[in-house]
Amino acid sequence: MDFAYTADEQAFAAEVRRFLAEHPPDRFAVDGMDAGYGSGSHSRPFLRALADQGWLSMTWPKAYGGQERPMFFKLVLLEELALAGAPFGPLAGCWQTADAIIEYGSERLRGEVLPAIARGEATFWQGYSEPGAGSDLLGLKTEARRDGDDYVIRGHKIWSSHAGISRYGLVFARTSREARRSRGFSMFVVPNGTAGMDIRPIRSLTGDVYHYEVFLDDVRVPGDFRLGPEGEGFVALLNGLDSDRLWGRFYKAPAMERVLHQLVEYANTTIVRGAPLARDPFVRRRLAGAAVDVAALRTLFYRVACLLRDGAPITYETALAKVLADETGQKIAKLGMDLLGLWGPLRAGSPWAKLDGHIAHLYQTSLGHTIAGGTNEVLRTTVAVRGLGLPAEAKIR
Amino acid sequence: MDFTPSSAQQMLVSTAREFLRRHCPPERVQAWALDERGFDEKLWCQMAELGWPGLLVSPELGGSGGSMLDVVLLVEQMGYACLPGPFITSAVVVTSLLAAAANADQPKRLLPALASGELIATLALTEENGSGDPDDVALACRVPGRLTGRKLFVKDAHVADVLAVVVRESESLGLVLMPADRRGISRIQLAAISGEKMFEVVFDDVEVTAADRLGAAGHGGALLTPALEAGALARTAEMVGGAQRILDLAVEHARTRVQGGRPIGGYQAIQHACADLVRDVDTARGLLYLAAWKAAEGLPAASDVAMAKAHAAEACLAVARRGHQIFGAIGYCEEHPLHLIHKRIQGAALDFGDAQHHLETVARSIGLR
Repeated sequence: MDFAYTADEQAFAAEVRRFLAEHPPDRFAVDGMDAGYGSGSHSRPFLRALADQGWLSMTWPKAYGGQERPMFFKLVLLEELALAGAPFGPLAGCWQTADAIIEYGSERLRGEVLPAIARGEATFWQGYSEPGAGSDLLGLKTEARRDGDDYVIRGHKIWSSHAGISRYGLVFARTSREARRSRGFSMFVVPNGTAGMDIRPIRSLTGDVYHYEVFLDDVRVPGDFRLGPEGEGFVALLNGLDSDRLWGRFYKAPAMERVLHQLVEYANTTIVRGAPLARDPFVRRRLAGAAVDVAALRTLFYRVACLLRDGAPITYETALAKVLADETGQKIAKLGMDLLGLWGPLRAGSPWAKLDGHIAHLYQTSLGHTIAGGTNEVLRTTVAVRGLGLPAEAKIR
Repeated sequence: MDFTPSSAQQMLVSTAREFLRRHCPPERVQAWALDERGFDEKLWCQMAELGWPGLLVSPELGGSGGSMLDVVLLVEQMGYACLPGPFITSAVVVTSLLAAAANADQPKRLLPALASGELIATLALTEENGSGDPDDVALACRVPGRLTGRKLFVKDAHVADVLAVVVRESESLGLVLMPADRRGISRIQLAAISGEKMFEVVFDDVEVTAADRLGAAGHGGALLTPALEAGALARTAEMVGGAQRILDLAVEHARTRVQGGRPIGGYQAIQHACADLVRDVDTARGLLYLAAWKAAEGLPAASDVAMAKAHAAEACLAVARRGHQIFGAIGYCEEHPLHLIHKRIQGAALDFGDAQHHLETVARSIGLR
């Protein structure tokens, strides 16, 4: 066992910290909402600055312009960015899509899309959920039918993050009717702006726009914009979900650590009835308990990362890590609101807001986290069925 | 970063798992819990033959020079089997205490006998205020001099040959080691629900000689710190092992117990309860290994140990309590092993600092004033 970063990883962490010192993250223009996961706001200028360092493509094969650096360098980068509160919103999605294109993509996709990702110009939205297909993803109705060398996609996607400001969508659609429910699905890369695509914002309870719904009215995409073999999309999606849940949640622990630092500082400097809030035994215990929760969360994610790195089988580990990440996040947001009292609900921009209104934002956004990317109910069932071998609940029809 | 135990550690774990499966089955744990003495000399000797009590003792003194990580992996298996007895107090805590006092005379004399299992030692720390914090020790003792007073919650004092007594020597903490049967010492068993053997140890004008003192005068506190850290880690490992056992038993029960025409593990209410058991076991183990690794590497580990023990105290006890709900009525029976593991976790959660004690350590480590 060894729980330390290697010397190379530590040197890279120092390199990232130097970059952040030279490029203070709060000076980059922001163009999309921070959804509270820990990856900050959507900022194209910051993404391009990361790309200028070669960090978007650093783990890719050299044949595609990468440096073949080890996967753990991505964890190091995410950890440092999250601790600094940097706006790297689209980063994990870019990496995920690039990995899928390198593994399953056509030469055309590799040639057109990978360089745009490497330059920090291409970002992606996921078109998985539909109005009638949430937790039951396989109930989706969007269809892609072959027409010569192209596919023509027709359907309605929803809850697609940053769809209106991204360059491509990843659209999951049915390509054939098969006896087995999980077969006959394919994944497509669909450029934004293609004729027939109508992207409409959905204002969330924070008052900002994060999600969009996308109407696909006979949207035509070239055949070689399909990711992977036709009809095998669901297997690829499932395999991808394990790493999605790592890359989409890994930065939550360092981001929560940052929030905890802010709350500790607040408790130390806020005087209540003549004494710092930090002297209240109940406050101490809750903050200490939250620090323990974050440390525990971190060990789960590093274990998942080691399993993925080593190519070891994963059954429940990523599902469990996501459950814990999002419940821990909710707990800490609630703790923050409790500590701030009447000031807690004040928005960013209010002259009386404490901690820049960040806690109110965190509190609101955290409500969506245990739903997005697989509800905690679905994921607990995954842990029980895939991890513990308990029987899948009989379908009630 | 690597979560895999070394091949030697894997061997230690599989040997321990198999040995304890054969020699420490639930029926015997039950019998030991009900028996007043509850100690099996033969089993202790077999464990000594496997070299377990010598794990933390250097090879020059007859041990195998293992690390805290090795100890934690072994004790996790002991917790899995719910093994009772003085292993932690003797082979981990007092052994660590002696190992820290490197240049004194007692270590050279006592460590070989502790390593071989011939000698059993225990720590007498807590007093009537119920605190496991050495700062709260009040029992005054002049060295040399006479000792009068009492210690509480002394584990396995009835089988211990040596008592390591934490005393207050003028203003500072002192440690004195004495034979447990020295004139004036009496050991009165405390009746506890867990089957763990704990004692009130009464000192009535007991002679303390200069040779009894471990380390230099006034240095008891420094010796005690790593030993208490080792004790907290070992008790955490015991909780994690016990929680893993409950998880395994509960999943087995959920797969085989049929109600309403299907195994109860086919109902989401039970599935989600089992998922929460996995969450609690995995997080408790993660923090345990991280803290033990830091201790083994000689890195500052105090806040990691505190985090591990505070978390296990809550999480492993939650596993036990949720386990009872999954098992239903059968888990309420004396003959079912669940309550024994539950009570062991409950006891371990309090030993070497309870959750509140360790959370205060964490509170200071995160910068709370």
